[in-house]
Amino acid sequence: MTLFGALGFTAPWLLLGLLALPILWIILRAIPPAPVRRRFPGVALLLGLKDEEQVSDRTPWWLMLLRVLAVAAVIIGLAGPILNPEDDGEVAGSGPLLVVMDASWASAADWRSREAALDGLMNRADRESRPVAILRLTAPEQFQFQSADVVRTRLSAGLPEAWEPDAAQTDRAIDLLPEGDFDTYWLSDGIARDAREGLLSALEQHGDVTVFESPAPLYAIAPAAFVDGNVALSLQRLRPGPEAEVTVAAHGRDPAGNPAVLMRQAVTFAADATTAESELSLPAELRSRIERFEIEGNESAGAVSLPDDSLRRREVALIAGREDREGLELLDPLHYLQRALEPTAEILNGALTDVLPANPDVIALTDIATLSGAEEEALSAWIEEGGLLLRFAGPRLAASDVSRDAEDPLMPVRLRAGGRTVGGAMSWGEPKSLAPFPEDSPFYGLQIPDDVTVNSQVMAQPDPTLADRVIAQLSDGTPLVTHKELGQGQVVLFHVTANAEWSSLPLSGLFVQMLERLAVSTTSSALDAGELEGTIWQPVSVLDAFGRLEDAGTLPGVEGPALLDDPLGPDLRPGLYEGEDRSLARNVVTEDRRISPTVWPDRITVEGFSQPRETPLAGWLLALAIALLAADVIASLALSGRLRGARATAAVLAALALLPAEGRSQEADPLANEEFALAATSEVVLAHVLTGNDRVDEIAHAGLRGLSDTLFFRTSVEPADPMGVDLETDELAFFPLLYWPVTPEQEIPSPEAYVKLNEYLRSGGMILFDTRDADIASFGAGSPNGRKLQELARPLDVPALEPIPQDHVLTRTFYLLQDFPGRYSSRDVWVEAAPADARLIEGMPFRDLNDNVTPVVIGGNDWASAWASDEQGNPLVPIGSGFAGERQREIAYRFGVNLVMHVLTGNYKSDQVHVPALLDRLGQ
Amino acid sequence: MTPDIARLRQHAQEEASRFPALLARADQLAGTVLLGDHGRRRAGLGDDFWQYRGMRPGDSYRSIDWRRSARGDEQFVREREWQIAQSVMLWVDGGASMRFSSSDKFPEKSDRARLVALASAILLVRGGERVGLTGWSLPPRRGDVQIARLAEAFTREDDADYAPPEARGMLPFAKAIFVSDFLGDIAPVEAALTKAADRGVRGALLQILDPAEEAFPYQGRTIFQSMGGTMAHETLKASDLKESYLRRLAERKAHLEQLCRLTGWQFHTHHTNDSAQAALLWLYRAMDGGH
Repeated sequence: MTLFGALGFTAPWLLLGLLALPILWIILRAIPPAPVRRRFPGVALLLGLKDEEQVSDRTPWWLMLLRVLAVAAVIIGLAGPILNPEDDGEVAGSGPLLVVMDASWASAADWRSREAALDGLMNRADRESRPVAILRLTAPEQFQFQSADVVRTRLSAGLPEAWEPDAAQTDRAIDLLPEGDFDTYWLSDGIARDAREGLLSALEQHGDVTVFESPAPLYAIAPAAFVDGNVALSLQRLRPGPEAEVTVAAHGRDPAGNPAVLMRQAVTFAADATTAESELSLPAELRSRIERFEIEGNESAGAVSLPDDSLRRREVALIAGREDREGLELLDPLHYLQRALEPTAEILNGALTDVLPANPDVIALTDIATLSGAEEEALSAWIEEGGLLLRFAGPRLAASDVSRDAEDPLMPVRLRAGGRTVGGAMSWGEPKSLAPFPEDSPFYGLQIPDDVTVNSQVMAQPDPTLADRVIAQLSDGTPLVTHKELGQGQVVLFHVTANAEWSSLPLSGLFVQMLERLAVSTTSSALDAGELEGTIWQPVSVLDAFGRLEDAGTLPGVEGPALLDDPLGPDLRPGLYEGEDRSLARNVVTEDRRISPTVWPDRITVEGFSQPRETPLAGWLLALAIALLAADVIASLALSGRLRGARATAAVLAALALLPAEGRSQEADPLANEEFALAATSEVVLAHVLTGNDRVDEIAHAGLRGLSDTLFFRTSVEPADPMGVDLETDELAFFPLLYWPVTPEQEIPSPEAYVKLNEYLRSGGMILFDTRDADIASFGAGSPNGRKLQELARPLDVPALEPIPQDHVLTRTFYLLQDFPGRYSSRDVWVEAAPADARLIEGMPFRDLNDNVTPVVIGGNDWASAWASDEQGNPLVPIGSGFAGERQREIAYRFGVNLVMHVLTGNYKSDQVHVPALLDRLGQ
Repeated sequence: MTPDIARLRQHAQEEASRFPALLARADQLAGTVLLGDHGRRRAGLGDDFWQYRGMRPGDSYRSIDWRRSARGDEQFVREREWQIAQSVMLWVDGGASMRFSSSDKFPEKSDRARLVALASAILLVRGGERVGLTGWSLPPRRGDVQIARLAEAFTREDDADYAPPEARGMLPFAKAIFVSDFLGDIAPVEAALTKAADRGVRGALLQILDPAEEAFPYQGRTIFQSMGGTMAHETLKASDLKESYLRRLAERKAHLEQLCRLTGWQFHTHHTNDSAQAALLWLYRAMDGGH
């Protein structure tokens, strides 16, 4: 290969051919263009005229230049020019080549360019016959130096992983490095990691290290947090840069359950900033449906964050017994509950029967003793499906007989009458404090403040089951909170009021924590390892490096603390994990993770991927030569005066055809549309649907032409030439009748076309479906045409059908008919079914059937063939034999006339039935 | 033998098919001109009513208009206008140069020439004139049969590049119409006109030209050939010739006009891209104006 700057040639000796160009120039100049022979009667006047100058016998210089350039382009093209040929002088080496790839999620965003760079490396290694090996740091494996060809076949298998190489993996990679010298190309993802240095120095012991890093911006999104009722998004980018705007899309399912983008939010990075914040204000309903946030246009796991339960807030319905004490807020039984739940839950207010259909997670009843039978039933059903009923005691409950003798299904325990009061003005003893929570209580571990005291409580009857049901008790051992499982849900009873009347519990922070523990509200605080100790979390779906969610399949469960703290890796993939009663998301970029660019030592060469790639120019030059020669053809024609009129158009078209056709617009030309509309509406025009089968379309057209002629001759309907319509592009509203021959191979129209068709049918249009198979299968699945018809008509808004009844208006709109033959004479023709209440009225020859035109007529008689005629009116398709056939054709025409009359006049002929009655009534 | 007959028949059919078309078109064209029978403005032999006059001795009883006379006591005689027929001689150039058309959009010059000539013949015949061809082949006669004969005669084509006008057999004081492109040698035209003028024949020269012949829109190295191929002229740069050609064409037209002025004829140039009716109207007026 010979190099000239950025240009190299594979066959430079061919360039000597350029020396021949001046000779070519001289030869071309010597030959005048060939004359045109032209007949011209005025030649008699020309005789004897002399040319004034002798110049134009020479080809003009610009034309010659064109030709010489074309030849030069061919010569240079054949010499095999290559732009930016990869120059291996710098990294000369013949030893083995190790390609180290970070292959982390951060590489996924521009994986294509990495693959391209890798491919380039392979090419070079192949040219120099250097053995190559690939080491992926996220999944280090034993490797061997092999020829580039062999390695190349496995390139596509090496995809990036959704985690970053951690110290252990890097150490393993260092262990794997073989003895001996080799050069290293390191495709880095650009994120700083401590483990890099060790590997770098290990690699440098073996040979040169060159680092490739992509300058493309890398974005990452931290898990969304719930702040002040809004969803807070926090984004990072690897390198500071100019102001940039990225779009974060919240993906989830729409109410119909289909994946959809629920919201988009533009987030702007200020210039030189590496982080950006934004807040999404979303209705709770929408928020709870969000499945992931994604930075659009960034295909990497770091650009995706999965929200777990932290965004989902539970819906709590609060229902109070006493509504009459308006204005006394602090005494309101719901006040403290409301204050405790507001920050972390959605609160529903309303009557019990109203909130139940909303299927809240929790229903809190404060001091409600009795429920109506229906309410109780509905509530039980709701609890059994997993609801949590939270009840608070109060004066009413204490005074009532609920759960006195037998345990109420909606009460965890039986209650003693009256309750008790301690430490009050009229009672002995001190107010009771809380006993420490037992180990099996959900409240276990909560700190009990000293100032929480209970003055009054409802007392539980001692039952054999009572001990199991107590989850919190007072210092004297009386139950404070009891619970009972009911189906999949549970009933929890606080034996005190929800306000501060009976105890100071609702005033304390403990109250809030207890509610949290009961999963009434969701925790806003992060989980700590202690809580997760000993739990196993099962992955539900995991992210791959490109940010796509995949089913976790058979991946093993992960221990709780590991899920929280361990670095991601093959054993802990980012994704959604499910525990006992909640789900946890493990994101690639955690809240406190800050990504920063790697700083490589000065001695290391860092290259970008965007270095000019080796571009062979031969093809372009040869194409240029062809284009120049084409231009030469046009120019020569123009010069010799042969480029006129149609030829000029053809030449220009040919020239345009050579251009890439990207400028062509697919939009419908409004002018053409208008012409179409004018053509279709100036006269009545029958239309047929273009099936794509030329023969069928031709016959359909000829058939409608024959029918149009017949109408013209016999009736006052004078149709113009029929038109073929393309359902996708043409407006249908102009045509009274669409003839639709069914072919098994025609394409199903698009949904948009069906919208148009349904609109057409609803607004009084008629489609005549013709399966053209003599109805051999009676619209069963037996004939391919019949099957196709079913497929075609399925999305259509077609009413119930019936075989055409004897008194259908189609039998008498113009001719009196009882048969509807086409090329075949099957009687099975289907039309819209008569209404069920159509009866034969006394004295009327016909029933009063549908008021409208039947939107479809379906048959298989191949009417178009029977109607088909050429321009002179001669029939195109033989029908039957002899006179009987001609008679059949005549009846077919009559059917066509009746059909068009029916479309155009509707049930006019039906109405005429009433004329005698009307006349009679008018006294005529 | 058989091929000859077949070819003849095919040819005859072609001719026959062309002929009615020409006739029909000419008829249609003639229909666009409202006909005024050019009476003599005096009583005489004719078809049209001229005046009633009182019966005079010598009038035969057959000439009495009984319908008029029955209104009173006097007898009236219906007099008719004296009409006399002119003889009009046509010559339509059948030379090869007439079979030229620069574009599909325009008819050949010969086509237009025949159309206009035949249409004017129809008009003249309807006007009661006798129409014929110059020369001996078709002397002037009246009637529809004559039009058919004329149409047939027009379809004959000449092989020569430029046909000289036929000036023989011209009736004295008749009228004549010469239709040609007049691009060939001017001398026979001159001779014909002089001869006609000698015999007191007046008429009209209708020059039919193709738009290309007026515009000369040619460029580049070109060999121009006459339609028959007998003449050729090569140029290296056709666009340079345009000026001189147009000058010569203008000279030719001026010469013809001069000739016409001298001999009392009328001259008009018609282009095939114009409507044939314009030419017909001009011809008709030229004929009528001669009265």
